[in-house]
Amino acid sequence: MRGHRSGRPLVPAYLSTSGVARPSRNSLERLSVLTSTTGPVFGDLPAAQHALLQSLEGGSLTVVEAAALLRLPVSAIRVLAAALIDQGLVTARPPVPPAAQPDHDLLKRVADGLRALKL
Amino acid sequence: MIEIPELAFGGLAAGTVSALALGSGLWRSRRERARLRREMTGLRHQAEQSARAGAEEAERIRQAFTAELEHLATRRMPAEASRTAHPHVPVPGPVGPEGAATEPVLAALRTAVLQERKRVDAAARAGMRGTTREIQASLYRLQDILHGLQQRYDEPELAQDLYSLDHENEQSLRRAQVAAVVCGAWVGLAREESHLVDAVTGGQARLSGYRRVKLHNHLDPGTALVSHAVEPVAIIAAELLDNALRHSSPDTSVVVNLEHVHNGVAVTVDDAGVGMAPDERAAAQRVVAGTDPIMFSDLGDPPRMGLAAIGQLTRQFDLSVDLSTPSPYGGVRAVLLVDKHLLSHIDPALRPAAASTSPSTRTGEVPRPEPLAGHAEPAEHAARAERVEHAEHAHAPGDGRPVSVDDQPTSGPDQPAPAVDDLPRRRRRQVSPDQAAMIRPSAAETAAAPARSPEETAAALGALQSATAAARDAARSEGTAPR
Repeated sequence: MRGHRSGRPLVPAYLSTSGVARPSRNSLERLSVLTSTTGPVFGDLPAAQHALLQSLEGGSLTVVEAAALLRLPVSAIRVLAAALIDQGLVTARPPVPPAAQPDHDLLKRVADGLRALKL
Repeated sequence: MIEIPELAFGGLAAGTVSALALGSGLWRSRRERARLRREMTGLRHQAEQSARAGAEEAERIRQAFTAELEHLATRRMPAEASRTAHPHVPVPGPVGPEGAATEPVLAALRTAVLQERKRVDAAARAGMRGTTREIQASLYRLQDILHGLQQRYDEPELAQDLYSLDHENEQSLRRAQVAAVVCGAWVGLAREESHLVDAVTGGQARLSGYRRVKLHNHLDPGTALVSHAVEPVAIIAAELLDNALRHSSPDTSVVVNLEHVHNGVAVTVDDAGVGMAPDERAAAQRVVAGTDPIMFSDLGDPPRMGLAAIGQLTRQFDLSVDLSTPSPYGGVRAVLLVDKHLLSHIDPALRPAAASTSPSTRTGEVPRPEPLAGHAEPAEHAARAERVEHAEHAHAPGDGRPVSVDDQPTSGPDQPAPAVDDLPRRRRRQVSPDQAAMIRPSAAETAAAPARSPEETAAALGALQSATAAARDAARSEGTAPR
């Protein structure tokens, strides 16, 4: 069986953070963008932090995206990311506030235009 | 004239002679009679004596037999009955030679008691099995709810409680499952083919002291278990780790190593605890070997189920567990050997192991891709697999990044081969539509059904055969053996 993982996960989420769900900092939101500040680190990081750091290689991810990628709940990613930020391995950028987001109608029209171009 | 006195004399003489003859005959017969009488008296006496002796002998035998029966009823039979449960109880022998006749009684008693014991044990196990099965199912439902809540709510305080609940639930689940397995039930959950490190880490998560476990994964990435072996390996790992954690001080760690061996994979669990005496170790080894059928009544009170469950699983699934060597750390070393036919391979690029599992130490050792891709194909393939191990791909929701998979070894020409002294680097790669189609789950699942190799077929048939043989043995030893 390949690809899509179905069924009950073998490894529960609490194992990734050793049972901790309270992050060391409360600044992280669901849409905070995480960026790795270093190259690959082969230090003595806990496995899940290592996995998160690896998933950030070559790009940035929001907290929710990282959660989906690593198949962990958002609460666990927050703990892991907070620990990595404390060690200076990752930086977090607050999410773009809703007021600064482009107009939905405009985006829709652009998308429509793009589709029209493609056809 | 002369004739008359002569006649008289002759007559007298004849009379005298005949009288003499008669007298002597009479005397002789009297003597004979007396002798006979004497003889008869002697014989009667003798007969009386022997009759008395016979009666005495009969009385003695009767008493001996009574004593033997009493000895049998009060001493030997209870001893024989308790011997079926406690083999060290000595059964006293018969008092005298008359006791030889009572041996079949004891043999029949032994058979009957054993039979009854098996029947009662089977009934107890059946009852327990039914109950634990229900509990296990409801705990799985609870687990589903908890996982749903964990996904939905990410407020730290609430998440903390959900984690604790999940952990408690895992522990209860483990106990229910182990009890069910000891009672001869199926492991209760069908898993799909999974990474071996996932199974062992999953077992670790079911324990209260899981933070003390240090896992070193020396397996090639993608080393997996076939679906029916996943849950048994997780249960065995959990029970071995539980033993290790329970018998070692809370400030020491329990070291787990996953390594390839010639016949498959070895999972070694070392603790730095108190260790076991040689006889304890021998007893534990007997239990985990799974050769003797499990008797519920042998498990003690409270029942020690862990090793018994391991024994049951090793017997059913052709796994082997060894507890016979002491650990170099002073405690116990437990080695679980997973045979080759229970292993399979999952492409770690398509389905990485869970994020919380230890990354393989082999990642750094993989030979760098050679410039000549055609000559070093397997190595390059492995290296690629390494590099993308933890990256997820097109089917992950919310993942907008380009996918870094080039699964086709023949995609060489459009990519420059890395220079010899370059470190392997992650590159963004464009995914061609056919590659994207290949890694999409539905397509991948249909594509991933290659024909079985002869070895795989042989392994599958062998597994089937050993399973039926094991089940027949179990049924034979269960309850209804012919009297």
